[in-house]
Amino acid sequence: MLFSSLFNRGEENMKMETKPTPQPIFNISKHGMFILLCLLPALLLVSIFIYYPLCKGMIMAFQNYSLFDLTNIRFIGLQNFKSVIVNPDFKQALINSFYWVFFSLIFQFMIGFVLALMMRKKFRGRGIYQAFVFFPWAMSGFLIGLIWRWMFNGQGGVINDLLLKMNLFDTPIPFLADPKWAMASVIMANIWYGVTFFGIMLLAALQSIPEELYEAAKMDGANNIQQLFHITIPYIMPTIIATTLLRVIWILNFPDIIYAMTNGGPAGSTHILSTYMLEKIIYDQDYGQASAIGVIIMILLSFFSIFYLLATKFNKVGDF
Amino acid sequence: MIRRVNWWALTKVIFLGMFLIFTVFPLYWILITSLKPRKDMFTVPLQYWPKHLTLENYVNIFEISNFDVYIFNSLLVSTVSGLFSLMIAMLSGYVLARFRFRGKHQIIFAFFVTQMIPLFIALAPLYLLMSKLQLLNRLPSLILIYTVMMIPFCTIIMKSFFERIPPSLEEAAMIDGCSRIGALLKVVVPVMLPGIAATFIFAFVQCWNELFLAVMFIDKESAKTIPVAMNSFITKFDIDWGAMSAATVLSVIPTLILFAFAQKYIVEGMTQGALKE
Amino acid sequence: MRRARRIFTLLCFWLLLLGMIAGCNSNTNGNDSKNEKNNDVVTLKMIESLTSPSRTKLLKEMIQKFEEANPNIKVELISPPLQSADEKITQMLMAKEDLDVLEVRDQTVKQWSNNGFIEDLSRYTNNWEYWDSLNDAAKHGATSIDNTPYFIPYGIYQKTLFYRKDWFEEAGLEVPKTWDDLYKAAKALTDPSKNRYGYSFRGGAGSSDYVEFMTWAYLGDKINPADGYFTKDGNPMFSTPEAKQALEMFIKLYKDASPPDSINWSYPEMVQGFTSGMTAMLIQDPEVINTCIENMEEETWATAPLPKGPESRVAQQTLGTAGWGITSYSKHKDEAWKLISFLSHPEQNLYFAKNNSLIPIHKSAGEDPFFKEGYFSSYIEMNSKPDEYLIADRPVHYKGWGQFRATAEKDIQALLLGKSSIDSVLEKWSDYWKKEKEQQNN
Repeated sequence: MLFSSLFNRGEENMKMETKPTPQPIFNISKHGMFILLCLLPALLLVSIFIYYPLCKGMIMAFQNYSLFDLTNIRFIGLQNFKSVIVNPDFKQALINSFYWVFFSLIFQFMIGFVLALMMRKKFRGRGIYQAFVFFPWAMSGFLIGLIWRWMFNGQGGVINDLLLKMNLFDTPIPFLADPKWAMASVIMANIWYGVTFFGIMLLAALQSIPEELYEAAKMDGANNIQQLFHITIPYIMPTIIATTLLRVIWILNFPDIIYAMTNGGPAGSTHILSTYMLEKIIYDQDYGQASAIGVIIMILLSFFSIFYLLATKFNKVGDF
Repeated sequence: MIRRVNWWALTKVIFLGMFLIFTVFPLYWILITSLKPRKDMFTVPLQYWPKHLTLENYVNIFEISNFDVYIFNSLLVSTVSGLFSLMIAMLSGYVLARFRFRGKHQIIFAFFVTQMIPLFIALAPLYLLMSKLQLLNRLPSLILIYTVMMIPFCTIIMKSFFERIPPSLEEAAMIDGCSRIGALLKVVVPVMLPGIAATFIFAFVQCWNELFLAVMFIDKESAKTIPVAMNSFITKFDIDWGAMSAATVLSVIPTLILFAFAQKYIVEGMTQGALKE
Repeated sequence: MRRARRIFTLLCFWLLLLGMIAGCNSNTNGNDSKNEKNNDVVTLKMIESLTSPSRTKLLKEMIQKFEEANPNIKVELISPPLQSADEKITQMLMAKEDLDVLEVRDQTVKQWSNNGFIEDLSRYTNNWEYWDSLNDAAKHGATSIDNTPYFIPYGIYQKTLFYRKDWFEEAGLEVPKTWDDLYKAAKALTDPSKNRYGYSFRGGAGSSDYVEFMTWAYLGDKINPADGYFTKDGNPMFSTPEAKQALEMFIKLYKDASPPDSINWSYPEMVQGFTSGMTAMLIQDPEVINTCIENMEEETWATAPLPKGPESRVAQQTLGTAGWGITSYSKHKDEAWKLISFLSHPEQNLYFAKNNSLIPIHKSAGEDPFFKEGYFSSYIEMNSKPDEYLIADRPVHYKGWGQFRATAEKDIQALLLGKSSIDSVLEKWSDYWKKEKEQQNN
């Protein structure tokens, strides 16, 4: 099964491992009641408070559900999807979503990875250093958007002020007013926020690599770079795949920063699917179309997940 | 050889230093702003150190709002939801890791899919449901809904932690006469403590920052949380940066303390997840 | 045996969880019934939408006075953060969640009356002694939809021109009378090297309002005041040559006299720009008066009537109103009306309007020196010349109104960036409103 392999022990299955993976060992028929009771709280709560509302919400995607007139709700088939997709704004939001996810992810991952590599070995003050570099994770999205918006301000913003002081530019850069800069700016804020996640996850994975592997490699005369590509990366590959996939999903579904920084502007140049969905709710008050966009987001993400897992051959890593 | 080590150390220091500046600068800026009187916040040239150091913004947020109540509420809601989701996720994660049964893959799949759901799609029906169950406007209901929101991710994470603990551990305990739950609590949990701590911190931080559901489900002043209070500093024609920055600093402190205390656990906890037999 | 114990443990855990849910459940009921039955006290739930900490404080103070005067009525005020307030109120109304008094605005009244969420107040207003003391603007706002009073306004929002008196004097400039004057003055005062700009431009959320009243000023009395986006002969206003002139002026103002960042500015940034000494002029609602008093030196700024169209020689804007209404499903409508009529009493309203910096709703308030003199005088001047300062209604009764605002904001930003042409945008908007009108008539 594709998804169940996601968070499984991947490392054990890597080539260098010799020990067999721990298989489920208990007899099932005897434990039916136990299994049921253990799963019941999670399953029941999730079905009642997540899946039931979700299904109801998805029904709206096929209805003429506009707050302007709720007395006339009726099924209209795929009309909402049609109206959403033919709108040029949707196409732009789709393309922007790609940039948003791709660049946010690449930079978050790269910086997070390098950070993890460098923090792998203990050094003095590592504890405090970690607490500080990981703190962006502890702030809410709207606040991050607000703060960065203020700092990116073209007139009197602190970032422009610093750039001018350093004589890097002669005139202030209209970070959020110029479509070319706007996307880069919101992505920057998102990178700031998201490095932490990769930092924590990858650092943890790195620390699980047995030291003997490196020692053996050194004996064979492998240099640092070779060690990185032949030991480190293969070993933590399952973690990399699982975390990147989760992040793709979360980043796409994360309108907070963009909403607070640019509200999708200027001229729709930073709209992504999830902010576009917000616009449908806040301005148009058209829950039908908003819900249709939500369904499209979920379909896209499902396809992406399957494709991603197949492409990375991740399903073979799992044990199911 | 020695030279190469030095180069590596140097790059390391430079990278780590630059990254520290990159992450901490916004926080520094907010801290400085919170210590400036309102009139100095937007003056040009910018003040990188406040000319008139003041605590009036901090005093102010306790005057214009019941910020102490919000801090208490946020702490309560995040801690309790974190613990609840942890407990539930431990049971389900354990079963999903240890047993093979029909429907297991579907359950994991269902948990995974919840991560893809845009909140707004389910919001209106969820509100209606909460209203019908008369669950609105109380802190326990907020705890309930946060717990539910955190269950899927925590389950997935806990499952992966359990899978890295050899089943032989529990077996041994059970042979010694422990029940399965007993074995789980007495033998497995202590081994997994770091992982559990990491999962808890994750859940805690998510609940600590949650804004929208808290706005929707809570009406009364005495049950508001910090993000809601901070959001209300944005008014129609003004963003109260004084209050906002002071509140930001105050709201970051508990999580910063938690991180500092638990950073050992976070990293070792996640390592636990990757630990092999 | 062991298995039984295990299952028992789990069941206990499970029951505990259920108990927790049920616990908060029964608590809610318990409190409500106690209050209502034992003490004969009615609890009203009231929600506001344009919240701010200071306004909430003010409202609470007034509510306290009300409770003192009516010991058998308690009021529970709900103050969600502004950004999600409308969303929250909508959800509450859709779920028929307990709610008696709510803040109704010109932007929301049509939608809520359409859905039967709010009560027609005419049976109360008919017997209300102060109905005839309301000024025309308040009456107009209250009955703007279906000629039915769905809410009693607490104040009027109208735009006026704020300008830096000291800068104008320093540069020897006259206070602008028309949009041409305003442009010239704004350009003269712009000096990017000093971080100084002529005009607090709005290019972000809400920018279409500014295109709207500029177009209205240029078109003057050709606009059909009851159907504001159409001319008297029934064509969309955007299809006229005056609309083109107005839009050209709008763009020139941004390019030549406004901060580049203002392409993203909405209400808070515009005000911030003005009060922090970056911009010389601002066109905004009366609320800003209080903000300016708090943040700026006296004598550095002043207010003036809205600039007029260069040819039409009139200015034209909409009357923004917001006020208090009653939900259609409220169980305590009479008590709710008591509260509303208390808040709308001339004395209370004057107090609210002064502290919240709004135009009051009663005619008598015009005599109050606070409004007659000082910063509010520009409003008095505009209202005393109804032939020069016209009033028109926004097309809030069209289904596509909300969507138009979203689309227009994007189009405006595209225009400002030079990504689309004035002609194509105006054509798009004209077509949009033509279609809306056809749908409306069907």
